Parts: sequence; structure tokens; C-alpha cells
Amino acid sequence: MARTVPSGDSGHRFPDFDALDQARAWDPVTSAVVFDRLALQPDLRFFGPAEEAVASALFDLLLAQEGPPEQPRVPVLQMVDSRLAEGQTDGWHYQDMPEDGEAWRRSLHALDQDARERHGTCFAELTADRQRALVQRVQDLSGERWHDLPADRVWSLWTRYACTAFYAHPWAWNEIGFPGPAYPRGYLRLGVGVRERWEHPDRAPEAP
Amino acid sequence: MIGKYLRLTAGSQQAIRDRNASAWLLPEDDRRFDHGLLERMRRYRDEDEVDIAIVGCGAGGAVLAQRLAHAGWSVVCLEAGPFWDPDTHWVSDEGGSHHLYWTEPRVISGSDPVPLGSNNSGRGVGGSTVHFAGYAPRFHPSDFRTRSLDGVGADWPLDYRELRPYFERIEEELPVAGQFWPWGDPHPYPHAPHPVGGNGEVFLRGAAALGIPARVGPVAITNGRFGNRPHCVYRGFCLQGCKVNAKASTLITHVPDALAHGAEIRTEAMVTAVETDPEGRRATGVRYLRNGREHRQRARMVAVAGYAIETPRLLLNSANRRFPQGLCNDHDLVGRYVMVQGAPQTSGRFAEEVRAYKAPPPEVTTEEFYETDPARPYRRGFAVQNVAPLPITWAEHIAAQGHWGHDLRRYLQDYVHWATLGALCELLPQADNRVTLAAERDRYGLPVAEFSYSQCDNDRAVIKAARTVMEDILCAAGATEVLTIGRYAHLVGGCRMGADPQSGVVDADLRSFAIPNLLVTDGSVLPTQGSANPALTIMALVDRAAQRLISRTGRSWSVA
Repeated sequence: MARTVPSGDSGHRFPDFDALDQARAWDPVTSAVVFDRLALQPDLRFFGPAEEAVASALFDLLLAQEGPPEQPRVPVLQMVDSRLAEGQTDGWHYQDMPEDGEAWRRSLHALDQDARERHGTCFAELTADRQRALVQRVQDLSGERWHDLPADRVWSLWTRYACTAFYAHPWAWNEIGFPGPAYPRGYLRLGVGVRERWEHPDRAPEAP
Repeated sequence: MIGKYLRLTAGSQQAIRDRNASAWLLPEDDRRFDHGLLERMRRYRDEDEVDIAIVGCGAGGAVLAQRLAHAGWSVVCLEAGPFWDPDTHWVSDEGGSHHLYWTEPRVISGSDPVPLGSNNSGRGVGGSTVHFAGYAPRFHPSDFRTRSLDGVGADWPLDYRELRPYFERIEEELPVAGQFWPWGDPHPYPHAPHPVGGNGEVFLRGAAALGIPARVGPVAITNGRFGNRPHCVYRGFCLQGCKVNAKASTLITHVPDALAHGAEIRTEAMVTAVETDPEGRRATGVRYLRNGREHRQRARMVAVAGYAIETPRLLLNSANRRFPQGLCNDHDLVGRYVMVQGAPQTSGRFAEEVRAYKAPPPEVTTEEFYETDPARPYRRGFAVQNVAPLPITWAEHIAAQGHWGHDLRRYLQDYVHWATLGALCELLPQADNRVTLAAERDRYGLPVAEFSYSQCDNDRAVIKAARTVMEDILCAAGATEVLTIGRYAHLVGGCRMGADPQSGVVDADLRSFAIPNLLVTDGSVLPTQGSANPALTIMALVDRAAQRLISRTGRSWSVA
């Protein structure tokens, strides 16, 4: 099976590297957890249709999964929806923020409201550039309030959930050269510039 | 002196086996836990009045249970989380390890609120030692006297020398691997240091270039097979629970021996209150929820070991007629002086491949900046360790720098080229950094904890200095770009020990001043936090308290 990398600008640094090639060296319990992420995700349970439309576009922007529709996409929307539906949060919330689920709903509605006020249509209908500008505005408001929520905490909520879902997925590991699970085999070759044979060299090492 | 050091590595096999009995109680086959120990576990009835009920089975609770069971006490340890089986419950995967944390609802506030629930929490048998890095530095002698020496923080009601034999014993019980330690009270470790991965190598190189002494260790991972614990395989997932059994957690270092000596560890049991007699003079047991039903376990003594947030919360939620403001809270100290270490984290970019995900995440340390330096504009100091984040954690690091979209993806694709250092900054204890009860309630109907935290000027100055040192080390090692983010690590305080009831909730033996048969045996008793990872000190304090408790009752378990 050919390796898969996520939608967007991906895959030129570790061109033949597929973390899943080593899956036979993983313990069965870990394997099951990782392969679950490749299975068909459950239907949405937490986000309603309007929230789904905003969240879907927001995750594509935050993680630059902006390739053409036929490109494989890490199902970030579904992964976040599952977490929120199952209440799998870290438990805490800031005193001036609602708990995570409610914070997600309110911030997605707020983004849609910004779109309507500025452009007269919902967020999902906007061009990527206009969406990006609205999202950038939330980040730039750091330290101020946005729709009665602290903007920096909304920003942290969005990026935290997005990163946790995306970089849990083996397709994301493929583009960053991370081999994923390492039990029970482990590593022998440690140290700077040293690789196991299943770790591939970076073919296009350029600083970001 | 030399004889003492040699004894660490060349002692009698039988003595090691007796001391570290748990390591031999693990299965010899390909399983990581002997379920027979659980099947044979002694089980008490609620109406049995046991010698002691311990709340929480983490670093403190498990050590206390093992010590007292060994001395012949009847012990029930009530743990809110599950009894872990490393084979079937843990994964070698970052995103799949969320269940290792305490994720009950909590509110955070203050000018510098501290996120909870992740690495600064724990649940299940072993508590946070299940997912801690295993880093086990001692506190320095100066940590016990910061008020006298530096005019900040608080003096402890005991000094370093009184704790030293217990530090040594716990280091042998974990056991700890590392180079000879030149800082604080210089000392050797029972196991040799582990080989160093790319991230640690970068740290050593940068520190050498600047003339900053750095050492490998001290980490509670056996170097080589130990009893039925296999050797480390350097897979780098220490923070996700060690499936190998190489890294210490009380689940494998103290719990097996506790069970073998008749302790009961009752899991999925959420303690909701400590009960007392009507006059509030003696603790009589605990109230807890299990399988949706309320129970009461009678006990002649109660020890609370729920850590810096849940221990104060439990005492506050146990208010009664005698203690309307919360148990043991006559002097408004319960929940106060909660501390976190400032833990800024600096990543540096290297032309070579570092591949920080291999080997234990922290491996190298400098404690060169640990104590007050009169030439610097702040009191106390910090330690620097390498931290080696896995992809999700490193993505959060990059996102915290403001990168998103294409930028974020580009930085992450460069992952193998980055090395990361983390500081542990001693932030000062402040009365208003505290746990109180919020209006919000959890699924049991109990008020949840609110944790308010704000830094003071000294805190900010220490964090700034640590950041400069970390950036200097990485640049000296050849980094072409450095990125620093602010974060916190560890939690201690909230039920500080003191010399008298006006200055502490408990005394140096961890007995509460207000109720003589109620103990607090976890990190919440620490009056200051130093710049060391707290687990070893928590275990040493509890070991000492257990020893004192046993000798008061005439049963012996002596320090070698």
C-alpha cells in the first residue's frame, strides 16, 4: 500500500517514509489505538450542521489542509467531535471561559457572526483569504475580548485541539519523519545524526 | 566514604532483593503485572476498623501503604482511578494516553492561571508516577531554610540531614541511575547513567562550550535488568506510562510488596469526606463512592494523599461542626501556598538530525543556577533539563509561538532537527496562590476545586534568567534559531508543614496539628519547592513519616 500524507504542502522531506511500514513491530494494544485513527470515524455527535461548517473550514486553515478535495485529509473535525462528544477534555477551564464544549460552540458561532457582519454571508461561504483574515484577527486580539470571550484563550483552545488531533495521526508522522510507536522494539541507535534503518534521512533539510 | 559508594553497587544480592522485593514480585514471563497478586489481595469490609485508611495511591500513598503493611498494620488504600495493567491499559502513543491524567472538572484563575489535568495530575494506582519522567533529583540542603538564608519562602520544620537517609533509601528502591551528583549535598547513585540521546548530547555540547557543568541523570530507570524488571529499550515514551517496567512507578516499586504484606488497594473508590467523631477530635474513617453507592470505611487513622489540588479540596469538603471552614483549617492554611515551578521551554534548530523522540525525555541536567546568586536580581534559582517533546507536545510549543497554518506545518516537518531544554524555576510560595471550593459541582455533586495562581516579581525574574541560560546553551551548541515558550510544571503545597499550628497544617511527621490521627502524606505538605522534580522528596518525607509512625507504635522497619 502506498504511503499517505495529509492534504496540503506535504511529503517532500521524507519521500518514502511510512510509519505504518513498521506496524508489525508494534504491540497489539498500541496498534489497535493507532489503526483506529485510520478507520472510518464515527458520525458527528457534538457539532450541529452550522458548527460543522465553520469548524471544518477552521481546521483546514489552522492545519493548512488546503489541498484539492481528492487529497487525503486527516479527519480532524471528526476527531475533535469525538473528544467533545465523549467529554474527553482536560477537565479544567479558565474562570472567565466556559468549559471546553461550550467554548467551542460559542467561538464557532462568533466566527460565523464575524463573517456575516463583515461580508454578509456565513464563514464557510467565504474565500480562504477572507476566512484567514477573520481567523488572524482573533489571534491578533490577544489580551482583548472577542465576543465576550478572552481572545487568547479561544486561540489556545482552537490550536490545542487541532494540533492534538492532527499530530496523533500516522499520516502526519509520515511528513515529519516520526516513526510513532516504539514498543517493544525500542531504539539502539541514539544520538545526534544517528538513525535506525527504519528511520529515514531528511531529504530536503531546510530551516523553516 | 569510598566503602559507602561501593556498597551501592556491590552490596549483597539478598539485601537488594529484600529491600526491592516488589521487583521480584513482578512476573518473570512476558506479562508486566501479576494478576494473582490482585486475586489474592486481602479485602476488608467497610465495618472493619482498619489501622489506617489512605486516600490516594500515588507517590505518597503507595509508599505509606507498603511501609505500614510491612510493619503489620491493616491498611486500606482507596484510589479513585483504576488498577493499571501496563500491557493492556497503556500504549506507546502520545495521543492515546489521555486516560492517565486526572480530568475531573476544575476552575483555574488568577493573573497567571495554571492549566491542570495533564502532566501535573495523575490517577489510578501509581498516581502521577505512572507518567512522570522518572526524574529524581534531591532537594538541596538550602531548600529547607530559604527564609533564613535568602529572606524568601519558608523554613521547613526539619532539615536536610534528617531526610538524607530516606533520600538514599528511596533512590535505592526506585532505583535511580545517574552520574555522581556534584550539587546540593554531593552524592552517588545506585545505577550508572543511561546512554544519552540526541537531545541530551546537544545539551552536554552547549553546556561544555559555555563552561557550565552538566550531568547525566538522575532518572528512576533501572540500568540493566533489575529483579523481574527488564532493561530500558529507549523508546522515548516514558511520559505515556512505561510498558517495559524499566521506569519506576509506585505501581511496580512499592505496590506489589504492599499487596504481598496484606494491604488492600481499593480502586475506583472516590473518597468524598474524612469523617470524625462528633467533637472533631479524632478521624474515624472515610466516606467514599464506589459503583455509584456511598460507603464508609472505618479506620483508626486516616492519611490523605490526593496531591496539591485534591487533598485541600477533600479537607475543605469535609467541613463539619467543629471545623466549619474545612477540616484542619483553624488557621486558614488549608489550600494556601500552592506552588508550581515555572517551566519555560526553549527549542533550538540544528543542521544535524537530533531526533529527540528517542531515549528518556529528560536525561541531562545542570543545577548550577539552583541557589541564590547575590550577583543576580532575584532570590533562589532554577535547574535546566532537556525535555524532548513528542510531536503533539512540540506542535503545541510551535503553536504557542503564534505559528499556524502553513507555518505550523513547516516547523513540524522540521521536527527531527530540534532539541529542547526545559527549566524548573523555583517560584515562591504565596498565601493567595490557593485552592478554594468553586460554586460548580462535579458528577458526584461535590464542589470542584478552584486554583488561583499569580506570579510575583521574583518569579518573573527567575523565569527570564532561565530562558536566557537555555537560549545561550542551545546557541553555544550550534542552534541557528531558538524558540521559547512559557509553561508550568509540577504542583506542590496546599497543606504545608510547619513548626506550629500557626505556620502549618501538619508537622514534620506529617501529622495534622488539629487532629492527631489524621495525616497528610503527599506533595501538598511541601513549604517550598526548590528547582527539583518533587517525587523523590515526597517519597522520602512519607518514608520518614512512616518510620516515625511505626516506631511510636513499637513496630520496627529500620533505615539501613
